[in-house]
Amino acid sequence: MRGHGFLLANYVAGRSLIHRTPLWLKFLLVVGCGMASFLIVDWRLAAAALTLMCALFLLSGAGPARLFRAVRPLLPVLLAIGVFQWWQLGAPVAARIVLNVLLCVVAASLLTATTPLQRLLDGVVSLARPFTRFGADPERFALTIAIMLRSIPFIAGAYADVRDSARARGLERNPRALVLPVFITTVAYARHTGDALAARGLGEPEDD
Amino acid sequence: MSLISLSTVGVRVAVDGHPDPKVLLQDVTLSLAERRIGVIGANGSGKSTLLRLLNGLVAPTEGTVTVNGLDTVRKVRSIRQQVGFVFTDPLSQLVMPTGREDVELSLRRSVRNGTERRERADAALDRFGLLPLADQSIYELSGGERQLLALAVVLAVEPDVLVLDEPSTLLDLRNRELLRRTIAGLRQQIVMSTHDLELALEMDRVLVVESGRIAFDGDAAAAVAHYRSLCAAGLEVPHSGGAGSGDAR
Repeated sequence: MRGHGFLLANYVAGRSLIHRTPLWLKFLLVVGCGMASFLIVDWRLAAAALTLMCALFLLSGAGPARLFRAVRPLLPVLLAIGVFQWWQLGAPVAARIVLNVLLCVVAASLLTATTPLQRLLDGVVSLARPFTRFGADPERFALTIAIMLRSIPFIAGAYADVRDSARARGLERNPRALVLPVFITTVAYARHTGDALAARGLGEPEDD
Repeated sequence: MSLISLSTVGVRVAVDGHPDPKVLLQDVTLSLAERRIGVIGANGSGKSTLLRLLNGLVAPTEGTVTVNGLDTVRKVRSIRQQVGFVFTDPLSQLVMPTGREDVELSLRRSVRNGTERRERADAALDRFGLLPLADQSIYELSGGERQLLALAVVLAVEPDVLVLDEPSTLLDLRNRELLRRTIAGLRQQIVMSTHDLELALEMDRVLVVESGRIAFDGDAAAAVAHYRSLCAAGLEVPHSGGAGSGDAR
């Protein structure tokens, strides 16, 4: 299966200052960057914030290739959004929107590149703990996040494989030949993952 | 050694467009207490269904399955702590991006402390010589390394019983041998389905499954001989319809 090079949770081992930064602070950084999408109204400010975030990413030692891999899948979408906004609202607004989205993606990638997945899940468990009084299981929250992080690249990889096999048969313009196999592969993957988790007793309720 | 009991167990599944359910397994009564138990049989004979019953992945539609007295349907969580399951394709089993993360995921329920969990995960990987590959993507590992990782993931929680569903099917000769030696050194009770009859011959007891029934149950040499005779009886060379069948034109 191709396409797994882009892994949202691809942790890059290291001992940088950002690696050692407490998880809550990195969480706050990501939330802050999300808020920036609403607060920053000047594209130059958005560009400065993005530059700062990219600098932090490179300081972590994760490398420019990892940074590029994180933003590459979004580039066609951002291009389309940028052109549409430029046409509708002008260049400064288009630039601000695109830069703000990139800021969020780089901030989220900084978090996942410098935090081991299990540490991230521990953080999710801590955040979800107050909900135990309502019957929620924090470990299930964490498991859901883990499976989501794992599944997105898998589906992207499945799409790449299906596109290649459709191309090999001259069916690259047939939407059915692209969508249906990806759908079937995804359902099969979900079933396999469910079995794998069930076999290990993960996500199971307590016995009676 | 654990005691696995199946009492008049049957498994049926509904199939779209068919009025009657399909029978996957029927009238299976067994008591398994040996250390190494092999399960052999043709593709689609019911081997995987039989194995999946032991871990609660499949629930019997008739009868009961117990492991050390625990019902696999009612005590599913306890069962899954006691019975580890290794799938044929390790990529179906490994759900995290790297080996270390996958072992740590297995340990999340039993080890709350992050540092201790990491140490236990590293020890589990080290046992199989996988520690240098701990942070490598599971897609970058060889087939043999992945299968060993799948074993490490399951054994990290120290189950009493290890169920393996055709673990050597996707492996080359060298990795098959490595897996065989690894399994031979485990303290756990093993229940393993396989198409590798040499491996089956090393078991203490072998079950032959045929069309959803236990066709033979006994020592390895006799079971393999029985399976070979079943296969030979089932082999019919299709006639080409050449001599004497042509019609005059």
